[in-house]
Amino acid sequence: MAETKKISTGARRKSFRNWAYGNLTCFSQAHMQTFGYLAAMLPIVDELYDKDEDKVSALETYTTFFNTEPQIGTMVVGLTAGLEEARANGEAIDDETINGIRAGLMGPLAGLGDSIIVGTFIPILLGIALGLSAGGSVLGPLFYIVAWNVLMYFGMKLAYDRGYELGGSAVQALVGPESQALRSAILMVGAMVIGAVAATWVSISTALVLPGVGPLENVLWSSSSTVTAEALNATGAVSLNVFGSGIFPKLLNFVFVYLCWWMMTKKKIGVIPVMLILVAVAFVGVLVGFFNPGLSY
Amino acid sequence: MAINALQAALLGLFACLASLPGMGGTTIGNYTLGRPLVGGLFVGLILGDVQSGIIVGAAIQVVYIALVTPGGTVSADVRAVTYIGIPLSILAIHAQGLDPSSAAAASLAAALGAAVGTLGTVLFYGTATLNLVWQSIGWKAMETRDWNTIKRQIPLVDFVYPWISHVLFSFIPTFIICMAGSQMVQLMKDYMPMDGLAMKTLFTVGSLLPAVGIAILCKQVINKPLDWLTFAFGFTLAACLHLNLIACAVVAAFFALIKYQIEEAKVARPAISGGVGASDDEEEEDI
Repeated sequence: MAETKKISTGARRKSFRNWAYGNLTCFSQAHMQTFGYLAAMLPIVDELYDKDEDKVSALETYTTFFNTEPQIGTMVVGLTAGLEEARANGEAIDDETINGIRAGLMGPLAGLGDSIIVGTFIPILLGIALGLSAGGSVLGPLFYIVAWNVLMYFGMKLAYDRGYELGGSAVQALVGPESQALRSAILMVGAMVIGAVAATWVSISTALVLPGVGPLENVLWSSSSTVTAEALNATGAVSLNVFGSGIFPKLLNFVFVYLCWWMMTKKKIGVIPVMLILVAVAFVGVLVGFFNPGLSY
Repeated sequence: MAINALQAALLGLFACLASLPGMGGTTIGNYTLGRPLVGGLFVGLILGDVQSGIIVGAAIQVVYIALVTPGGTVSADVRAVTYIGIPLSILAIHAQGLDPSSAAAASLAAALGAAVGTLGTVLFYGTATLNLVWQSIGWKAMETRDWNTIKRQIPLVDFVYPWISHVLFSFIPTFIICMAGSQMVQLMKDYMPMDGLAMKTLFTVGSLLPAVGIAILCKQVINKPLDWLTFAFGFTLAACLHLNLIACAVVAAFFALIKYQIEEAKVARPAISGGVGASDDEEEEDI
């Protein structure tokens, strides 16, 4: 057999660049990230095979639909580069194996990526950046631009290179039974931080004034626990928001997040219809005086 | 205050780069330039009022802090939120003589941003649909089975042709709406008084919308009813104990470590009791 083929550093760098930049540039609802994947595999296939016919056949493997969280998904691209190298060296890896791995990884990685990178990491970075941009300071946006891009560049580079080195064994590490513990732990961080995000960055309050009770804002939950009792004594009656925020702060945030989740998962209502329902809720709420932003020009 | 043609064109260009799917790529485009806080800086630079840009960007960012697009389900279009919503908000705030750092200005920006962001999903579907045309060019190239054609066409399909989609669905809408900005804001001010039903509803929707983004995330991490307790734990840390997100992440990581060790022990135990056969097999191989 001929000498062992190895993908050059240059070709891998080009493949990484094509994916990191082009994973979604030609997105459509039908093929999603498929063309980004083809663009990423192009330099790999071009270098590994001598005959044009073999190059075409190899690239055709990647015409299968692909979609995941594109940044964490860089690992899959690196991994298939490794598998393609093994195949070019005569290992018995067929199209079905490669596409089985891609299909098996894209779902779990999409879930992990959306909850960890987009749901946890970005809100944390943005939370810090928002704190830094108080009063319109450029420090906030600059912090986010630098921190996010530097961390993502090295993170994606690492994911690509690790994927390439590990090849098939990476699959076991990510979706095998051993990974179950790691994934459930990561999802736990996700759920907890998203809960914190719901309490921090959503602010839904009611402006309902019950006759004879007074404005509910006066008896809103406060971190100094005495306020609620005093306010209650002052007004001498129980009002709706005491029941809500007096028992648990920011309960309305929780209720609305749960309602949206319930509509989307249990009732299978799409995102846009859910938003339209919220518009209706807001309209009715304003009509009955439950919501009132209380603004003027 | 008005937006001139050059400024509108620059905003249009940034809209092309920052979209999802956008020509700046995912990391630099959508997740950097598309974030309203970052966009606020660039809109501010373009319009010559960096401070207002960032204040308005920050107010809109709060609404979209947890914006995810699982499986290409888009609830708000970042190019519209950031490069149409922020310029219009700055114009509106100036037109109404509000202090940019006031709560009223922030609510106005959040509501206006949410309104154009929701309407902007049309632009997302327009771009994604037109991209099907470029992809069909790519499929034709694959069918020729001619390597030189494929090698030439795939990068064109992925990196170049989508610019046409963006000229039509990012550049032109942003350019036109920003050029008409002052009149639009004036119209809104005349026909939609702030204490009217329309504006009250708009502002209320602005405060309710973040719940949708967070609910989308919950779909990813909450798989059984008890997971809501984990969510509630994080919620309680922030709501009652006023921990910031980093502190919450640290506490979460600590509990996740315990969870990991328990789960790992669960995986390891059957391997010890039920794995006798497996180790026997290994020994046989050795012999």
